[in-house]
Amino acid sequence: MTPIRKLYIANRAEIALRIVRTARRLGIATVVPWHAQDRHGPALAEADETVQIHSEPPVAAWLDVDALIRSAREAGCDAIHPGYGFLSENAAFARAVQAAGLVFVGPGPQAIELMGDKVSARRFAVQHGVPVTPSADEADDPATFAERARAVGFPLLVKGAAGGGGKGMQIVREPARLADAIATARRESERYFGDGRLFAERYVERPRHIEVQVFGDAHGNVIHLGERECSIQRRFQKLLEESPAPGLEPALRERICSAAVTLARAAGYVNAGTVECIVSPQGEFYFLEMNTRLQVEHPVTELVTGLDLVELQIRVAEGRPLPLTQADVRWSGHAIEARLLAEDADAGFVPDTGAARLLHWPQGPGLRVDAGITAGAPVTADFDSMLAKLIAHGATRELAISRLAQALHETVLLGVTVNADYLARVLRHPAFAAGETDTAFLERHREALKPAPLTDEQRRLLLGAAALALPEPAARALPMPYVAMGAWRN
Amino acid sequence: MTQFHFSDCPQQRHTVRPDPGGTGVIVDGADVRVQADAQGRFQALLDGRPERLHAVAHGDTVHVHWRGRAWRLERVDPLRGAGGGSSGGAGASHAPMPGVVVSVLAEPGQRVREGDALLVIESMKLQTTIAAECGGTVAEVCVAVGQTFQRGAVLARVATDAAGEGGS
Repeated sequence: MTPIRKLYIANRAEIALRIVRTARRLGIATVVPWHAQDRHGPALAEADETVQIHSEPPVAAWLDVDALIRSAREAGCDAIHPGYGFLSENAAFARAVQAAGLVFVGPGPQAIELMGDKVSARRFAVQHGVPVTPSADEADDPATFAERARAVGFPLLVKGAAGGGGKGMQIVREPARLADAIATARRESERYFGDGRLFAERYVERPRHIEVQVFGDAHGNVIHLGERECSIQRRFQKLLEESPAPGLEPALRERICSAAVTLARAAGYVNAGTVECIVSPQGEFYFLEMNTRLQVEHPVTELVTGLDLVELQIRVAEGRPLPLTQADVRWSGHAIEARLLAEDADAGFVPDTGAARLLHWPQGPGLRVDAGITAGAPVTADFDSMLAKLIAHGATRELAISRLAQALHETVLLGVTVNADYLARVLRHPAFAAGETDTAFLERHREALKPAPLTDEQRRLLLGAAALALPEPAARALPMPYVAMGAWRN
Repeated sequence: MTQFHFSDCPQQRHTVRPDPGGTGVIVDGADVRVQADAQGRFQALLDGRPERLHAVAHGDTVHVHWRGRAWRLERVDPLRGAGGGSSGGAGASHAPMPGVVVSVLAEPGQRVREGDALLVIESMKLQTTIAAECGGTVAEVCVAVGQTFQRGAVLARVATDAAGEGGS
């Protein structure tokens, strides 16, 4: 066992603060790096020490393996937590941290390599009886490709083996169209990629994205902490995540969760990981990939299990056994997370920049706010557009949805466009309430999710408030009598 | 008296005057019951029901929050006249969002048709093609690869054939 005394957090914004909070509760000192372009970070005021890092562009500082490890050693740290994103799934980083004599709070480099590569992870899943989308690779035996593709079943996706980005993809719904589709896909694949080799896999319509939180320790124990549904996505990025998955049959849930544990155990997986699957409307599930790190959406699992996942990560990294067995895990109620992003969702999700000129976070029972932005902070294109996560918990899904929608409406972040009201509209859509969630939800309900136009009276109300508005930071700090005078005092 | 317009509708001006009675303001001739509360917060009445708003000014821009939504309004300075923002003239391609230039696909003097790609920009992992607003000759590419810019910045200009002789 290697007790951690001082932890370097190779991350920023909300997740850096999230890790600082748990470390402090455990009596572990924290060091958080900061960049001149990111000096408003919420973790900086809470960390025991901060270290300035330099680079252009700013994000490069959090990707500089050597500089981060040097910075951690100079600060006297004995461990590094990578958070999510940046270097969190970089096997070379994990290896370099260990080589420097520091503890990496995450899985070992071999597990990151095995499960981080989609092709090797898929092969590994097949070897251990975890279903992947049935497929046929032309390269295995070109002469029998059409026959093997037909055997995969319909609807079928035929695409270039070298391809990506939807180019040359053909969806085939009936066997009679297969020959044509193969010819078209080959032609397009040759044109776009200079390579006509094909690959066919079962096309899952209306797929739900369901993932399982797993945890392993260095003593061979592996448990799961239930599933999360993350089907509400735009451009493959999750916007809303919840646990448990609505309407998931208990037997199917059990099969998915045990498959995830099987996979993690076979991989000798240590620390937190997430096994991602797609689930078809017919209840078939297929392994997609494994994320070898803490997820953005881990708070929903924390709220329904009552556990602290960062604490488990630190304890397991120290070499201690998991403090609970599978039978000890208890789930209570329902939790949903919303990602507050700096973007104009109604204009096609275009990113926006600005500054948090007025900022009020909502409060209330069953609500958690993991904020990555502070009042007055600039919002630039240098970093990810996620500004905060709002997570609501309730005894029922209905209560959690209602609390989260209220919290989104009470989130005041002025000075940059955010998606708060858009997410509240999604939460209040009858199809969302009915649990009819799949990855095409936002596209299918695009019209219904548009904002209602303002009436003239509502427009006048906004203009009235605008006329009385004070410049920041006076709006934040001015005593009452001056506030009441508003814009008329000059 | 102050004039405002919503930033997405610069043509439509609105007039706000103080209410001599002191219970609010007069907007476009109609009484609006709204009063400052605290910390950028306002209490108002709409159809007799209480409403809460937040607002903060930054220069001539005022941000207003109501029922979860936010709006951007512009205060029009009568001394400066029309405040419709920098148009950059006809044929100018504006940045739809702040970001960085990934590649420049056109050069000055090049003939382009409306919709032809002029450059590719990237903002928060999203790549967007900036297209010619009209057909004509590329007059200027205002940015270089790697350069950052703010939303609304003019990235390139295309001179239409008709406007060619009158252009600056």
